[in-house]
Amino acid sequence: MKDKIFGVLQRVGRSFMLPIAILPVAGLLLGLGSSFTNTTMLETYGLMGVMGPGTVLNAIFQVMSAAGDIIFANLPIIFAMGVAIGMAKKEKEVAALAAVVAFFIMHASIGAMININGGAEQMLTGATASVCGITSLQMGVFGGIIVGLGVAALHNRFYKIELPQVLSFFGGTRFVPIISALVYTVVGIAMFFIWPVIQNGIYAVGNVVMESGYAGTWIYGFMERLLIPFGLHHVFYLPFWQTGLGGTMVVAGQAIEGAQNIFFAQLGDPTVEHFAVSATRFMSGKFPLMIFGLPGAALAMYKTAKPEKKKAVFGLLLSAALTSMLTGITEPLEFTFIFVAPLLYGIHCVFAGAAYMIMHMLNVGVGMTFSGGIIDLTLFGILQGNAKTNWIWIVVVGIVYFIVYYFLFSFLIKKLNLKTPGRDDSEEVKLYRRSDVDARKKGTQAADDGQAVDEMSRDICNGLGGKKNISDVDCCATRLRCTVFDSSKVSDAMLKSTGASGVIHKGNGVQIIYGPRVTVIKSNLEDYLEIAPDEVYDSSTTETTEEEVQKETKETKVVQTILISSPMTGVAADLSTAPDEGFAGKMMGDGAVVTPTDAVVRAPEDGEIAFVFDTKHAIGFMTDSGISLLIHVGIDTVNLNGEGFEALVEDGQKVKKGDPMLKLDLDYLKSHAPSITSPVLCTELEDNQKIRLLKEGDIQAGEALFAVDICE
Amino acid sequence: MKAFDYVIKDEIGIHARPAGLLVKEAKKFESTITLKANGKSAAATKLMAIMSMGVKSGQTVTVEAEGADEEAASAGMQAFFEENL
Repeated sequence: MKDKIFGVLQRVGRSFMLPIAILPVAGLLLGLGSSFTNTTMLETYGLMGVMGPGTVLNAIFQVMSAAGDIIFANLPIIFAMGVAIGMAKKEKEVAALAAVVAFFIMHASIGAMININGGAEQMLTGATASVCGITSLQMGVFGGIIVGLGVAALHNRFYKIELPQVLSFFGGTRFVPIISALVYTVVGIAMFFIWPVIQNGIYAVGNVVMESGYAGTWIYGFMERLLIPFGLHHVFYLPFWQTGLGGTMVVAGQAIEGAQNIFFAQLGDPTVEHFAVSATRFMSGKFPLMIFGLPGAALAMYKTAKPEKKKAVFGLLLSAALTSMLTGITEPLEFTFIFVAPLLYGIHCVFAGAAYMIMHMLNVGVGMTFSGGIIDLTLFGILQGNAKTNWIWIVVVGIVYFIVYYFLFSFLIKKLNLKTPGRDDSEEVKLYRRSDVDARKKGTQAADDGQAVDEMSRDICNGLGGKKNISDVDCCATRLRCTVFDSSKVSDAMLKSTGASGVIHKGNGVQIIYGPRVTVIKSNLEDYLEIAPDEVYDSSTTETTEEEVQKETKETKVVQTILISSPMTGVAADLSTAPDEGFAGKMMGDGAVVTPTDAVVRAPEDGEIAFVFDTKHAIGFMTDSGISLLIHVGIDTVNLNGEGFEALVEDGQKVKKGDPMLKLDLDYLKSHAPSITSPVLCTELEDNQKIRLLKEGDIQAGEALFAVDICE
Repeated sequence: MKAFDYVIKDEIGIHARPAGLLVKEAKKFESTITLKANGKSAAATKLMAIMSMGVKSGQTVTVEAEGADEEAASAGMQAFFEENL
C-alpha cells in the first residue's frame, strides 16, 4: 500500500515537470521585461533616455513582460493540461483536450453557483478570482491539479470504452472529454461548497507556518531538501509557491495567493519598495545553498578523492557543481553523495533549512522561477537592486556556506572514510572500466552517434529487465522515472554502467538519476522501445555478454587451462541439454552433463570431498587445482531422500582420481526420477574463467570432460 | 549490519536449485551477505559453501548483510527466503 501511494505520488511529481519546465522561460521574459521597464531602476542607472517609456526598447521589454506574465496568470490551466498529459498512460493528447474542457466547465459551474447564491460580493474577500475570464473561486494551481488528476483517472479508465453500435461514434477516446465534461459539472457544483472549507483549512496551515516565524522557515527548508531523494519535493514546495498555503497578499490592488505568485506580482508592480520576505522566505534560501554551499561540497569531494582518480571525478564534479550554480538543479551533485554517505545528506538538509532561515532573518527578498541558480539571482536579485532585495547578503552568507561546506565535508569524508566519488576502491573502478570498454568499443567500430545512443538505450532497457518488464517510462528534471512489473529483474549495476549517478527503488518504481540530459535519454529510450524485442531480459546473462565484450576488446589470452574429467561412464553432452531449466540456464554453475550407464560415480580429479548432501544425490568436490565442482546425479533426485544411492565417501575425505564416491541403483533411479542425466558443474567460476566442452557422446569415467580456461 | 533469522519451510532444505537461486539473488547486492546455520557459516554467493551447510527443513538460518546497501540486501534476502524456502 505504501509502495502504491509512493508510486502515485511519484507520477504526480513527474507530471508537474512539464508545466514547471515552462517557468524558467516565462520567468526570463517577465524578469527581463519588468526589470528594464521599471522606471525606478532605469532612473537609478540613468537609462531613461535609451529605454525609457516611449522608446522602441521599452516597447520590446513591455511585450516581454506581458508575454511572461500571462504564463504566471494562467498557471492553473497549464497545470491542468500538464498534469493530465503526465498522468495519462496513452493517447495523452486526448487527456489534454479533456483537461481544458473539464477546467472550463468546472469553473463555469462554480461561477454559476456563485451567481445563484448572490454573486461574488457574498463571498469572503480573496476567495474569488477571475479564472480565464470566469468569475470563480480562487483555487490557484490546486484547481488545475484537481482537474488534471481527475481527468487523467477518467481518461485511463475510459479511453478504450466500447459503446453500443448507435453511439459508437462517441466511443473510445472521444468519450473522454464527454465524461470529463459531465463529471466536472458536478465537481464544480461540489467545489462551490467544499472549496471554501478547504480554503479556510489551507489558510490555517499557512498561518501555523507563518506564525512559527523563523522556525517555520527552517522546517520548510529542511523538509524540502529531505524530500528530494524521494522525488517528492515538487509536491511539497509547490503548494507554498502557488497556493494560499504560502501566504496571501494584496499587490497592486489584487489579492494574490502563493509565495511565487506574490513575488512576481510585486516584480511587475513599480510601487513596491522591498519584496515581501513573507513570500521570498520560501525561495531565497536556495541561493546560498546552490551557488555556494554545494560547490564547496564538490570541491571537498574532489580534494579528498584518491590522487589517481582525481582526473576521473573532476569532470563529474565540475559539471555537477556548474549545473547547481547556474541553474539551481542540484540533484546531479547531491546524488554523488546521498547514497554513499547519507550522513552528509542529513547535514546538508539541516544546512538547507538554516539557509532559508538566515535569508529570512536578513530580510533577503529574492524570488525565483524554478530554482536558485545564478541566472535567477541575476534576474530577480541583482537586477532588482539591493534596496529591494538585500541580495548582497546572499553573497556574504554564501561565502560562509562555501567555506563551511568545504571544511565540514572534507573533515567528515576523511574522518569517517566516506566513499564519495574517487574514494571507492572497487565499484568506481569497475564503473569507469566498463564505460571505458564501451568507449573503446565504439571507437573501434567507428560507430556513429546514433548507434552509440541506441546502445545506451538498449542497456537501460535491459537493466530494467527488458521491454516486457517495463510498464511505463517518464522523466523529471534529472531522473528517469520508470515503473516495472517485476522489480527483481532490475540490475542496478547495469543501469549505473550507462552513466547514472544513482538508482532508487520503491516497490515497482525505479528512478535512475542522470542529470539534466535525462530528457534526451528518455526520448531515445522511448524510440528504442518502439523497435525493441518485446521480451524479459535476464540480467544474469548480461554479465556473460558483457564479459565477452570485455574479452573481445582486450583480446585476452588463455593463460591456464584446468581439465576436469568425467566422474561417470556414460554419455556426455552440453549443459544446455539438461532436462531442467535451472541447470540448463547455468543457474547453479557452468559445466556439462553426463548420463551414466555405469553404477559407480568416481572422483573426477584428485581432491577433497567438500560435502555429500544428506540425500546422497549430490557431491560437492574441491579439486586440488582449486575448482569447486558440484556433481548432481539425476534431476529432482533430491526427492528420493537417499533411496537408490550409496555413499562411499564422507565430508572432508581426500580422494584420488578414479576413487569410487557413490554407488547408484540405476534401475531404481530410472524409474523414480524424471531423468538420470547428471550435471557436473563448476559452481564458483571467476569472471575470467570459461568452460570449454571437450567431449560429447560416449565417455569413460576419468576421460577429460571439459576444460576451464583461465584468461589473463 | 542487518540480520534476520529464518526457519526453513521447504521440506527438502537448501538443495541445489534454491541454493543456485539464492546465490543469484545475493549477487545482486553490493553488501556481503553471510548465512549461518548448524554452527557453520557461508558466503551467500558461494553455492558450494551454502550446500555444504546441509540446512534441512525446520532449521534456523541466520542471514547477515553488511555493506552500503545492507537494508535493501536484507529485505531482498528475506523476501527471497519467504518465497523460495
